[in-house]
Amino acid sequence: MKESKSAKLNQLQQQENHQNAHLSPSKLAKLFDPDASWDKDQLGDVLHWIRQVVGLISGLLWGSIPLVGGIWIILFLAISSGIVYGYYAMILKVDEEDFGGHAALLQEGLFASLTLFLLAWILVYSLAHF
Amino acid sequence: MATTIPLFASFKYADSLTVVGISFCTALVCEAISWILIYRTSSYKSLKYSIDKATKKLETMKTENPSSKLSIKKSKTKKIDRVETSLKESSRDLSLFKFKSGAVVALVLFVVFGLLNSLFEGKVVAKLPFHPITIVKKMSHRGLKGDDPTDCSMAFLYLLCSISIRTNLQKFLGFSPPRGAAGAGGLFPMPDPKTN
Repeated sequence: MKESKSAKLNQLQQQENHQNAHLSPSKLAKLFDPDASWDKDQLGDVLHWIRQVVGLISGLLWGSIPLVGGIWIILFLAISSGIVYGYYAMILKVDEEDFGGHAALLQEGLFASLTLFLLAWILVYSLAHF
Repeated sequence: MATTIPLFASFKYADSLTVVGISFCTALVCEAISWILIYRTSSYKSLKYSIDKATKKLETMKTENPSSKLSIKKSKTKKIDRVETSLKESSRDLSLFKFKSGAVVALVLFVVFGLLNSLFEGKVVAKLPFHPITIVKKMSHRGLKGDDPTDCSMAFLYLLCSISIRTNLQKFLGFSPPRGAAGAGGLFPMPDPKTN
């Protein structure tokens, strides 16, 4: 009990010290490690940025092809939610109850991602096809 | 100079890039203002630290194994209440901080919106790849003539930029509020009767 507590304190200190450090190989490995322990903020940030990247890529892709119609918004939401769920449930294997449940994890960065997706889609569509 | 003009002119909706560029600069200005007014101050830093600490402490206390002894359980409940109370107080203080810079940021956003509005009033700056629903159409078709619902006005584009760029910029710079503060608001929506 005491050992795990002191280990946790050390971890917290290291975490604060390296808060602004660049991505190191060990940190990159952690992104795919089911055994790594996750702080709520950390996991939230990772899921947020995954959503943004998916949103940007989808927007650029939808706009380039181009895909037209509101149905593709629904499809984007389904795809990005599926990716996020697949990541934290299947790759990281975290217990979602420790982080506020599925709803909290799935809504992380959702609205910003949707607006970024729409922005990219509209811009590429407008500039490339008119 | 001569080479860039034809390139931009070839895009029918080059104005959309102008809107995005201005929105991005505005976002940077807003974050600079927020940094000057809030984030660099020591009182904010200590406030954020106390919120983070209280949040982590709360999580630790709640996830520990529930004790079978009644007396220990009671004292733990009191501890949890105390941490929750201090978390709420810190969150409220943080809200006051936010409100201060929020007013200035809102003013900047309003001024920039007015500027863009004067530049692009009645002008189609982009084409929507979907037919907007009625509530969205009011924004996306604002100030435009004609009846093509896929015409996109500056207002809608500016809204999308404001939300996506500012949110991600804050996240990137580490300016987003501590999750404990946001969580505290959601976690305790009603005033705690035990505190009163």
